[in-house]
Amino acid sequence: MNFTALGAAQQTYDAVVVGSGATGGWAAKQLAEAGLKVALLEAGRGVSPKEFTEHMPAYKLKYRDHSPEVARTRPIQKQCYACMEYNYEWFVNDLENPYSTPPGKPFSWQRLRVLGGRSLVWGRQSYRLSENDLKATSRDGYGDDWPISYADLAPYYDIVEGYVGISGAAEGNVMLPDGQFLPPMKMSCGEVQLRESVKAKFGRTVTIGRAAVLTQNHNGRGACHYCGPCERGCSTFSYFSSPFTTVKDALSSGNCTLFTNAVVSHVNMDSEANKARGVTYVDRMTRQVKEIRGKAVILCAQALESTRILLNSSTRDYPSGLANSSGALGRYLMDHVVGGGASGRLPDLKTLPDANEPQRPNGIYIPRFRNTPSSTKETRFIRGYGFQGGAGAEFNFSAEGYGTSFKKSVKEGVYEISLGAFGESLPRWDNYCEIDRNLNDAWGIPALRICMTHGDNEAALMADAGTTAAEMLEAAGAKDIRVQTDVAVPGMAIHELGTARMGSDPKNSVLNAFNQTHDVRNIFVMDGASFVSSGCQNPTLTMMAVTVRACSHLIDRFRRSEI
Amino acid sequence: MKRRELIRAGLLMSFAAALRPTQEMAQSAKTPSELTPAQSGVDASKYLAAPGWRPLFLDEHQNETLIVLSDLIIPATDTPGAKEALVNRYIDLVLAAETPETQGAFLNALGYLDGESMRRFEVAFRRASRGQQDELLVALAYPRDAGGRTVEPDASSGTGHAHFETLKEHIVTAYYSSQIGERELGSDGGFAHGDYEGCDHTEGNHN
Repeated sequence: MNFTALGAAQQTYDAVVVGSGATGGWAAKQLAEAGLKVALLEAGRGVSPKEFTEHMPAYKLKYRDHSPEVARTRPIQKQCYACMEYNYEWFVNDLENPYSTPPGKPFSWQRLRVLGGRSLVWGRQSYRLSENDLKATSRDGYGDDWPISYADLAPYYDIVEGYVGISGAAEGNVMLPDGQFLPPMKMSCGEVQLRESVKAKFGRTVTIGRAAVLTQNHNGRGACHYCGPCERGCSTFSYFSSPFTTVKDALSSGNCTLFTNAVVSHVNMDSEANKARGVTYVDRMTRQVKEIRGKAVILCAQALESTRILLNSSTRDYPSGLANSSGALGRYLMDHVVGGGASGRLPDLKTLPDANEPQRPNGIYIPRFRNTPSSTKETRFIRGYGFQGGAGAEFNFSAEGYGTSFKKSVKEGVYEISLGAFGESLPRWDNYCEIDRNLNDAWGIPALRICMTHGDNEAALMADAGTTAAEMLEAAGAKDIRVQTDVAVPGMAIHELGTARMGSDPKNSVLNAFNQTHDVRNIFVMDGASFVSSGCQNPTLTMMAVTVRACSHLIDRFRRSEI
Repeated sequence: MKRRELIRAGLLMSFAAALRPTQEMAQSAKTPSELTPAQSGVDASKYLAAPGWRPLFLDEHQNETLIVLSDLIIPATDTPGAKEALVNRYIDLVLAAETPETQGAFLNALGYLDGESMRRFEVAFRRASRGQQDELLVALAYPRDAGGRTVEPDASSGTGHAHFETLKEHIVTAYYSSQIGERELGSDGGFAHGDYEGCDHTEGNHN
């Protein structure tokens, strides 16, 4: 059923969707199920449950996760906790997929090219943005409000959550709207102790992580069996990944054709009509150049990749990048700032770790409590941060000494507790990506130069996060508290956002409120590139909700023959 | 079939059928070189135990020293120790593929151990008596006495303890990632699973 070559070249699809990850999967599903003929393009290969390795012990790996092959071919990718000797082939080969950064301004770009993209290995934390996030500018004057409100987005959060299955607990917190939750995962004793003491002393909320991991069977997928390492695949499909959910639905509709190994280089334009007519891609294996025609082009390639495609699609009418009359394309790159937090030990709690005990693939979450409608305004920074963390009995591999007593100490374990902040990343004009004319990927496609630093506000957030994390751990009775106030290299949160932002003013934004480019009415960007601000919540849930909303709009326009 | 295996088989059967990937998605296997060895199902657990094993990176003396040291740090008790877990062979394999910095740090630390043994006892570490080995390791492993006073041999630079920790970290990683090490931690040979029970105490009573 994979009619590439001639057949594909001649057919004009209703929609060409570039990228099969969290948002591309949704776009393909929504459009195909609405009856549109969809071509779904993925730069990498397909994926099969046969290659899942979540139950394989480390001793079956030749290097037990210290493979020199990973270090050689994926020196950047291995900065990602999820890139392992088990699964490194899902991640891009850094030698074939280069990008540049200015001296002294590193950026860690962690990505996959395989069906499903990063949804195969994502952290699964799923939080709604609130009206306070979407309209933050109205309150503190920095940047721009989103052109959509929480009320616009809420119904689409409902749709996404209902389908994906998000386990979590409702808290009624104004900074973190509740959603459609499956039963929450349980908290450990240390986490409950933290929740109780933080509520009593600071009035802050500690809740179980809201995770795209099923706590009961849902939509034909199985409840989590708590084996632990989701990023290596899941034989019960308990965490959400697009190949086995949205992409599968899209293909089952009979209206979607999947093209794997299709490395899209640029969008093709009909300049007379100012409309896109499709995309050109390079076959990853054969290097054959092919064109796919579509009435609408939808970029879901990941924020930086979607923008790269537009930048590489310049025409005489759009010399600085397609749909870039505003000059904002590539600008306002964001990635949540991480590095601040604290960790310690809870010496009063029982420790008896066991290698067989269930591993919960989730932690705890503390919603933002700085610069809220009810808190005093901070003078050192605007916006705020949330904490992810956890507490539990662990083997004490760092026990001191040696010999029989050391061996015993390891098994007796230690009760660890930690909190790590994710801070809002402010959208700044001078954080940007552009095409590096001297650098090409292995398919001859010009590569990106990424220029990003975190600023003073981000540093102040992490400094404050170190202090507040330590005071909360102390309230919970933690000892040996270690405080971190670092600012990690941009990219390390793996939450790249912006570079083709939405806005109501075509002069300073790329997309309208429905992810449609202001300049070319049949080009859409439906991924993190569209974000106007970052909030501090993990963005994938919002990216999916924004995509479903944009698709509803696109389907309407198709039905009214406006595209 | 053990309970764990039954559960695994059940899990796989009930959902694999429902979620069998479509034909388009399954085309992946055309290029097996794009799977990691693990994704291809390669089991390398017997690799280090292969007959005729020779070190790739360490020389014979270093290898023998590492065997002696590793078994002092993680000795056989009622469970096997580092020697039986072939900790030296794993460390040698990883070091052979490591960066020059990591390789150099390891050899520096191992050399320090020998140097310190020769300075004190005029004999290389692996040939020292058990009592001498313990005397040296106690000094390096516990760099301060009960009163907080530094007791390590070269307190001025503070490197003795750091060298010990370098060696210990390699050994601990190698042991607990081995099959023997997993069993030591209570693994029954399968994978962790079950219901995550969490806390069931009343408020304030978690101790």
